[in-house]
Amino acid sequence: MIKLRGVSLTYPNGTRALDDVDLEIEKGSFVFLVGHSGTGKSSLLKLMYREEVPTHGEVQVDGIRVDTLRRSRVPKLRRNIGVVFQDFKLLSHKTVWENVAFALQVTGTRTRDVMRMVPRALDLVGLSHKSRMFPSELSGGEQQRAAIARALVGNPKLLLCDEPTGNLDPSNTTEIMELLQRINLKGTTVVVATHNQAVVDRMRRRVVRLEHGRILHDDERGYYFRGLGQTAVLP
Amino acid sequence: MDWGRLRFFLSEVLTNFTRNAGMQFTAIGTVAVTIVLLGAFLYVRDTIQTFGTGVLSQIEIAVYLKDGVDDVKAQELASRLASDPRVLSATYVSKAAGLRRMQDALGHDFDTSLLTSNPLPNTYHVKVKDPDTVPAVAATIARDPLVAKTDYAADTVQKLLKVATILGRAGIVLIALLYVSAAIVIANTIRLTVFARRREIAIMQLVGATNMYIRLPFIAEGMLAGILGATLAIGVLALADTQIVPKLSQTLQFVTFQVNAPLLSLELLGVGAAVGLIASWLSVGRYLRT
Repeated sequence: MIKLRGVSLTYPNGTRALDDVDLEIEKGSFVFLVGHSGTGKSSLLKLMYREEVPTHGEVQVDGIRVDTLRRSRVPKLRRNIGVVFQDFKLLSHKTVWENVAFALQVTGTRTRDVMRMVPRALDLVGLSHKSRMFPSELSGGEQQRAAIARALVGNPKLLLCDEPTGNLDPSNTTEIMELLQRINLKGTTVVVATHNQAVVDRMRRRVVRLEHGRILHDDERGYYFRGLGQTAVLP
Repeated sequence: MDWGRLRFFLSEVLTNFTRNAGMQFTAIGTVAVTIVLLGAFLYVRDTIQTFGTGVLSQIEIAVYLKDGVDDVKAQELASRLASDPRVLSATYVSKAAGLRRMQDALGHDFDTSLLTSNPLPNTYHVKVKDPDTVPAVAATIARDPLVAKTDYAADTVQKLLKVATILGRAGIVLIALLYVSAAIVIANTIRLTVFARRREIAIMQLVGATNMYIRLPFIAEGMLAGILGATLAIGVLALADTQIVPKLSQTLQFVTFQVNAPLLSLELLGVGAAVGLIASWLSVGRYLRT
């Protein structure tokens, strides 16, 4: 699904975000990107949905060379990728329904299809009963579920989550992670950047650890800290 | 485009428009002011042009015949004048007729009994088709053997023509400046809307909306501001047309105030829409590129 080869990213201000990263993510897999803030997790995600272009190296998503993609082709790429953020990025003056429908409407989807697809996405995240509410009337977890519904409404093959539980309490965090797992079981590739140790250690999925813009380790069924379980006491 | 999509688009435009109401009013007001000025200018220019061409079309060349040429001989010249394609008409006024005319015009102030002979020459009054050709036609006629002298309001004609040209050029510059100033205000308004909606734009880009799609509501918004401004301006101009112009034409009776109102209104609407379109296009374009 995703292939990065020798990818480096240096921002215009000179900050080296990524340094010679090689990474492959299989179709249908669930991957955690972990590491302290500023180690390049978000940058890695941004390369995948072409918010950033690598300074060196190749980025391939679903068989498409993203790094050399023409600007006019970017919208089409993005329609195949759902992105979820820590701050939800919902539009406060639109209801849940309108927020989810927005993603379809602005990409020119026929009204008939919008009416069919939005309820399905809301049903998936369990928000059908709150579709007429505004984001300010929802809890943090519900807002994130609305954002996930928006990311998924167009049936993307890939879901990228940048600190999806960063603003949530533990019970909402669990809820969201269970939702992401369910989405993954339906065949969507899910990549989650997080520094929530508890979440990573409980789920036991593939863990890619970044440090200073490089991949430090990459384990199947890994832990947040290599070789340490949930019981590990942080120094 | 199905009805639902159209409704979504229009509701997006309208929410943007009303959300930025304060700034939109400023933009509409500025467009209205510039278009009122533009309209007034076009109005004045049209009036002067109508007046000028009216005056020019009335200008005659007076052709004074030599002393020995009698009424019969004068007919020869009439046929020569008629064969000149630039000439519209030539009216013969004989010595006697000329004197009578003068008497009629001056009435009691003019005592013909004091004259021992008629001092007036036989004359042709020549009108031309194109006012620009007056000097050339006059020169041609002056070379005729029967003609003693030609005369026309040379300076007046040339000055009027010159004024018309200068006014036309100054007008183009003025209009261009007015367009630019209106465009700047709309562009700034749209920039504010774009800024207010940067979250929406970011989300649109994230979910894969094309730049054209993102641009469209802003362009519609700019055009709406332009058209509303123009409509307001046309209202003001129409009011001026019915309230002020009748009073003006009482004072300036020799000037005909006449303008093609529907056409002018359509032009001004077009200007408003175009200015809004161009301004918003550039404004959003700059944002999307960065």
